[in-house]
Amino acid sequence: MKRHLIYIIIVLFAFSACVTEDDFVDSPMGNFEALWKIIDEHYCFLEYKQIDWDAIHSKYEPQVKATKNSKQLFEVLGNMLAELKDGHVNLYTIHDQARYWDWYQNYPRNYSEELVEKYLGQGYRIGAGMRYTILEDNIGYVYYGSFSSGAGNGGLSEMLDYMSLCDGLILDIRNNGGGDLTNADRIAARFTNERILVGYISHKTGKEHNDFSNPEPIYIDPYENIRWQKPVVVLTNRHTYSAANYFTSIMNEFPNVTLLGDQTGGGSGMPFSSELPNGWGVRFSACPIFNAQKQHIEFGVAPDVWVNLEDADKFQGIDTLIEAARQLMRGKLFIQTVCK
Amino acid sequence: MGSQILQAQDRLFTEAETKDPSIVTRATSYGIGLANVFDNYLSPQSYHGWEVRLSRESVHATKWNPEKWSIQSYFQGYFDYTENRAENNNTMAGMANWNYGYYYKCWQQGGLQLYAGGVADLNGGFIYNLRNGNNPANMRVYVNMDASVRLLWKTHVKRFPLLVRYQVNVPLAGVMFAPHYGQSYFEIFTLGDSKGVVCMTTPFSQPSLRQMLSVDFNVKKTTLRLSYVCDLQQATANKVKSHLYSHVLMVGFVKHLKKL
Repeated sequence: MKRHLIYIIIVLFAFSACVTEDDFVDSPMGNFEALWKIIDEHYCFLEYKQIDWDAIHSKYEPQVKATKNSKQLFEVLGNMLAELKDGHVNLYTIHDQARYWDWYQNYPRNYSEELVEKYLGQGYRIGAGMRYTILEDNIGYVYYGSFSSGAGNGGLSEMLDYMSLCDGLILDIRNNGGGDLTNADRIAARFTNERILVGYISHKTGKEHNDFSNPEPIYIDPYENIRWQKPVVVLTNRHTYSAANYFTSIMNEFPNVTLLGDQTGGGSGMPFSSELPNGWGVRFSACPIFNAQKQHIEFGVAPDVWVNLEDADKFQGIDTLIEAARQLMRGKLFIQTVCK
Repeated sequence: MGSQILQAQDRLFTEAETKDPSIVTRATSYGIGLANVFDNYLSPQSYHGWEVRLSRESVHATKWNPEKWSIQSYFQGYFDYTENRAENNNTMAGMANWNYGYYYKCWQQGGLQLYAGGVADLNGGFIYNLRNGNNPANMRVYVNMDASVRLLWKTHVKRFPLLVRYQVNVPLAGVMFAPHYGQSYFEIFTLGDSKGVVCMTTPFSQPSLRQMLSVDFNVKKTTLRLSYVCDLQQATANKVKSHLYSHVLMVGFVKHLKKL
């Protein structure tokens, strides 16, 4: 009997095959292979962007082998990630952060903090993570700089109640680099009176580049209390990114909303985090979000009305985009427009 | 329902000897040990560190066949704080586990008794990575039906009685919550796309093992329990791989209570 017991215990141990991690060594090549594999198996835009990731491996492997120290390795790996042309892709070390910021740095800024503060004046209100005021022509102006700033329902109701007598609302999300998608949903729920399909989300279901789930529809349900019923102009620029890009795409589906400014910067892949054997953090786009037409918005959402911040206006203390929005809401828009 | 502590002279072997279903052997143990945490939804690296664990166990004979059948209720909660191999990031994990099983005494010879049983094995907890953004944590919720074997050995070292016990639980089938391979919790809980996040598990997808080796002994009027717990929980569900390995030394107090 004792012998049987020993056999049973041995079988039980053998049955417990290890479920464990891939074994990459903490060496330049080990970290390179680990990073390449993370992107190969988890990054969600390799097919959409038609990136030959195997070719990227061949291109950078000799460069990694030639590195002499960690800073050189960081530079090579950062360059490899830049091939993805994605602002949601980063490599984090204690000495630097590899990033790709061409999506806004190669374009006009169309934004001046100084001008925004001039329009807000000194008596503006702060609530729901936003700064807001009523302009002299009875247009409400709201600046929301980050979707990481909590937009609570109480604060949103207070803001909309304060602006309830305004003729229209300018919602300025220029230079908003994103944050929490739930804030985007919560704010958007104030601008629709019915349930509206605003987009889709998908996720990877396996390691292959085409392993994706069926896109899941995203709906916005109207908030049950105070909602905005008048015209809205959303101001965007190339630095309107990530959750702000998602919010722009949502607002684009609402009939009383006009997008004005420049194309948003994109960033439609919800980023996940990972890490290398040497402890360097990695961020990458994991879950693609589409617009209501199931089109990618990774490279941004085009405005209904294209407007650039003119230097001459800026010199005079005028924000061309805010003024264009005010004229648009008064039905006096004379700015040359280019439709999407 | 009240209870009173038994005043019997030799309480140590109560669990192995009593046929009175109103007598409950209850042990509360506290432990510290080593933990190895891995969840590739959070990181492709495993994390190593320490664990603190609390357990509370009750064993008593059944009313309907006290000579052969007994019931064990075993609760444990544990907390892990672990570090990656580069020592620049940490995870925290917390788990609660409750096992409720029926055991049949299938063999007895001398001081040895062998029990075999079926156990309902309920688990809930989390692994939280302190550095991650949209995938900061993964819930671990799973329910299993386990096969369990418990071996009791009544023995003595010189004049001192000892009750040595080895127990092993192996999940045979169950259900487990697991996000899909690259699915965000935003999609699951905010948008409500929970299709397929509860999946069936088998010994092949969840090859886990929970073992405990303990020794009960008397010190004056107190019964103490020293135990070693080897808890190897691992699973592959929706292509998400995870494991929580624990090796814990525990010290506990055993009481033999009579239900009033």
